[in-house]
Amino acid sequence: MPRRFCLPVSLAVLALLTSCREARVEHYRVPKEKPAPTTVAPADAMASATVPTGSEAITWTAPAAWTPKPPSPMRKGSYAIAGAGGEADLSITAFPGDTGGLLANLNRWRGQISLPPLAGGELEASLLHLDANGLHFDVVDFVGTSNGTPTRLLGAVLSRPGETWFFKLTGPEATVAAAKADFLAFIQTVKAP
Amino acid sequence: MRDLWPPFRDFFSSLKLTIVLLALSIILVFWATLAQVRLGVWGVQEHFFRTFFVLSKIPGTDIPVPVFPGGYFIGGLLLLNLIAAHFARYQASWKKSGIALTHLGLVLLLVGELLTGLWQEEYSLRLDEGQTKNYSESFRISELALIDHTDPQHDDVFVVPEKLLARGRDITAPQLPFRVVPKAWYPNARLQMRGPNQGGDPSPATQGIGPRIIATPLPLTYKMDERNVPAAYIEVIAPEGSLGTWLVSEMLVEPQTFTHAGRTWSIGLRLQRNYKPYALTLLEFSHDRYAGTEIPKNFSSRVRLTTPDGRDDREVLIYMNNPLRYAGLTFYQAGFDNNDRTTVLQVVRNPSWLIPYIACVLMGLGLCIQFGISLFTFVAKRRTAQAG
Repeated sequence: MPRRFCLPVSLAVLALLTSCREARVEHYRVPKEKPAPTTVAPADAMASATVPTGSEAITWTAPAAWTPKPPSPMRKGSYAIAGAGGEADLSITAFPGDTGGLLANLNRWRGQISLPPLAGGELEASLLHLDANGLHFDVVDFVGTSNGTPTRLLGAVLSRPGETWFFKLTGPEATVAAAKADFLAFIQTVKAP
Repeated sequence: MRDLWPPFRDFFSSLKLTIVLLALSIILVFWATLAQVRLGVWGVQEHFFRTFFVLSKIPGTDIPVPVFPGGYFIGGLLLLNLIAAHFARYQASWKKSGIALTHLGLVLLLVGELLTGLWQEEYSLRLDEGQTKNYSESFRISELALIDHTDPQHDDVFVVPEKLLARGRDITAPQLPFRVVPKAWYPNARLQMRGPNQGGDPSPATQGIGPRIIATPLPLTYKMDERNVPAAYIEVIAPEGSLGTWLVSEMLVEPQTFTHAGRTWSIGLRLQRNYKPYALTLLEFSHDRYAGTEIPKNFSSRVRLTTPDGRDDREVLIYMNNPLRYAGLTFYQAGFDNNDRTTVLQVVRNPSWLIPYIACVLMGLGLCIQFGISLFTFVAKRRTAQAG
C-alpha cells in the first residue's frame, strides 16, 4: 500500500474511535418536583435582627408600576417588579459602618449570581458614579446566573457617616434590563435630611 | 496483508513525524494562548484542543474550513507515533526498562487527557433550604423539555438536546405523540418585550408569550463573566395538524402549557439536567462571618443524602476544600444565594482523574531507573578501568 494513504486511513480510524455519542431524544419519568418549603425565622429572632441605622428619615419615591411588598425587619423597603422574564425583587437595606468595604460587598453580590470576585484593581471599572440630592451612589450592573437562569443585579451603594445603604434590584435578566432606567431614576429620588 | 504493514509501521514509527507533531503542537499552543484574550478559556479549549481541526470561516461566508490540526489530531497522532515507535524499535531488556516505563507514562498521560475531554462532566446543583433534588444542571448546554404533567404523581419528560435543535430537522421519538420542528435556533439571543405600537416583522411564534416578545440573535460570547442564552422557535405538529409555534428560552421561566389529546403538556428550554439515583436535601446553609464584619469566614452546607432503596440515608457537611465524594461524583461548595438560604454546589464527574497522577509516577520512576542504570554502568566501568 502506498505510504501516502497511511495518514488518511489512520485519521479515519482515530476519528471513529473518538467520535462523540449521537444526540437523541430521551424519555424518562420523574416524580413531580416539590417546591422548597418557605422558611420563616421565629418572630423574636427576626426582631433582634433589626439593624438600627439612626437615619430612618431617608426617603425615596418608587415608580407606580412597582408593587410594595410587606415590610420585613431586615429591609427598609421592598418592591416587586413584574416583567417579561418573571418577577424581580428590589431590596433596600442599611447596616452600621462600612460592612467590610465596597469591594467585599460587591463581590458578595457577584457571588450571589455566580460571578467570580473582582480584584481590587478592577473595582473602579465596574462602577458608575451617580450624584443626586447631595448623595453619592456607587452603582453596579452585573449579569450572571441564578438557579441556572440568566440573572441581572443592579445595585447602588450609599455610604453615609457611620452607615451604609444598599439598594439592590435582582431578577430575571429580561425584567431587570427593562427596569434599569426606572431603577436609575428611582435612585435619584433618594433623599436624606 | 504483509505488504500493508511496513509502510504503516515506517510512517508512524518515524522520528520525523514526532518532530513535525511537536512543532505543530508548539504553534497550536502559542496560537491558542493569543486567542484566549478573545475567546476565553472555555472557547479556546473547544476551538483549539478538543477538536480534530481548528476551523475558520471563509471570509464573507458562514462556511467553516479546517485551517490547522487541532488538539485531538496532534495528540492522537503523537499517541500512535509513540506506540508504533515502541513496537518497531523496542527490544525487551532490563537495561531499557526505564525507557519503557517512561513511555508507558507518556502514553497514559495522552490517553488520560483524551478521556478527560470525552468523559468529564461538570454540573451545578442549586438547593434552597429544605429543598430536595435528584438532578444537577449543566453550566452551558441547554435542552428542550416537553413534559406531560397529566399524571398527578409523575411527570413524563421528553428532552431534546440543543444539538438536534441546531440541526433544524424534524424531531420525532417513539412515545412522543407529535413532531417537533425547530423553526429557528439562536445559540445566543436577547429577548425584549414588544411595545404596543412597535412594528417590525411579526413573531414566528403563535402560542404562549412568544408573540409579545422580540428575540434578537446575538454573537456568541466567550467572556468569563457572561454566558450564551439560547432561544428557539419550536413548532409542534400533531398528526391532525400544527398545534402552534412557541418561543422558548431559558429567560422565560414561566411554564408555557398546551393541551393535546386530553393531556396537559409544557414546553420550555432549560439547562441540561443530569438525574441521579439518589437525592440531596439541603438541611442548612451556614455563612459564617468574622465577628462584627461582613467578611466571609466559612461557607458550609449540611445536606442529607438519601437513596430510594434506603441503603444510604445520612447527613453530610460540605464546606470549602471538603467536598462530598459519592458514586463517582464530587460535590464542591461553590456559592450561595437568596440571603444565605440557597447553596450552589459544583458537581464534577471525571472517571479518569487518577490517570495523570499514575502517568507522572510512572514517568518519574522510569527516568530514575534509566538514569540509575546509566550511573551504575558508568561507575562500574570506571572502577574496572581504575583497577586495570
